Amino acid sequence: MKSSGFAVALGVLGVIFVIVALLYAVGVLQIATSSTSGPHYKHAVLFAVLAVASFVGANFARPKAAV
Amino acid sequence: MTFAQALFMGLLQGASELFPVSSLGHAVLVPSLLHWSFRQSDPSFLPFLVLLHLGTATALVVLYRHEWVEIVRGFFTAAVRGQMKTESERLAMLLLVGTIPAAVLGVFLESRIKSLFASPYEAAGFLVANGALMLGFEAVRRRRESGATRAEQEARFGAAERISFPAAAIVGACQALAFLPGISRSGITIGGGLVAGLRHEEAARFSFLLATPVILGAGLIEVPQLFARGVPVGEYALAAVLAAIAAYASARFLLRYFRSGRLDPYGWYCIVAGLAGLALLHFNL
Repeated sequence: MKSSGFAVALGVLGVIFVIVALLYAVGVLQIATSSTSGPHYKHAVLFAVLAVASFVGANFARPKAAV
Repeated sequence: MTFAQALFMGLLQGASELFPVSSLGHAVLVPSLLHWSFRQSDPSFLPFLVLLHLGTATALVVLYRHEWVEIVRGFFTAAVRGQMKTESERLAMLLLVGTIPAAVLGVFLESRIKSLFASPYEAAGFLVANGALMLGFEAVRRRRESGATRAEQEARFGAAERISFPAAAIVGACQALAFLPGISRSGITIGGGLVAGLRHEEAARFSFLLATPVILGAGLIEVPQLFARGVPVGEYALAAVLAAIAAYASARFLLRYFRSGRLDPYGWYCIVAGLAGLALLHFNL
């Protein structure tokens, strides 16, 4: 699926995932975790990976200029 | 856990992780049948599991070391270019798509599912279900095969790089079923690969490649657990080396086996082992 709108949406999603990863890493976010205090590195790594996947997806979805 | 028990568990985990027979099911069931007192759900068991998983993941990385170099290179090339042009670039993206659902489900559900279904009875029951699944995958596959010899039957099916992206995501998500003790991660992914149109050997290869980031990632994240007080890291490390050797030998054997072999023997083994386990537990033998 090639469209600028879709690429931008995936890019925004990637930024959101980066923020969520940081919040888990510093221990601010405690949603769906086994303990209710401290940093959650497993969740942080997961959202970092999701962010990377979103940015990769955005680059794939971006219409390419004809060579 | 004694040193001998640790070595035995290392060997068992390494051997059963890649065979489609459920390492978790065996790790829950076998100690119980041998009347060993430790439990997998015990927090002190976690550092041990971490090292065993790192051992298994290391074996897979060593086995596919040249391929992983190509996959990592292909990932960065395709990610920056925004296009896939080679087979290794496509495989890298397929592995990313297959790993994400397993990682999401693993982070949010793994500990809850494992704590809900940690008893030997459930492990034995799920082992029977795993066997039925393996036989079911092969039954579905046989309906799509033609030709007299195994080589002819396999010829019309494809390589791992040819699996579709939705199929890779579904196969990846199915790895979460392996949080149930008795359901095999490799069995589910090999079976999923067969249904998605891969040759047996290629389904096993895709399964092993797909398992590597999940097992390695889950192990590396838990590494700090190894530095907890009272953890006999040296003894556990020896068990992990045994796990790695067993996993490497298992993977080599399975890749050769699946050139012409099927999942059926493992399916029947799981059914028999699960039923025998249920009987032994019921009669407290």
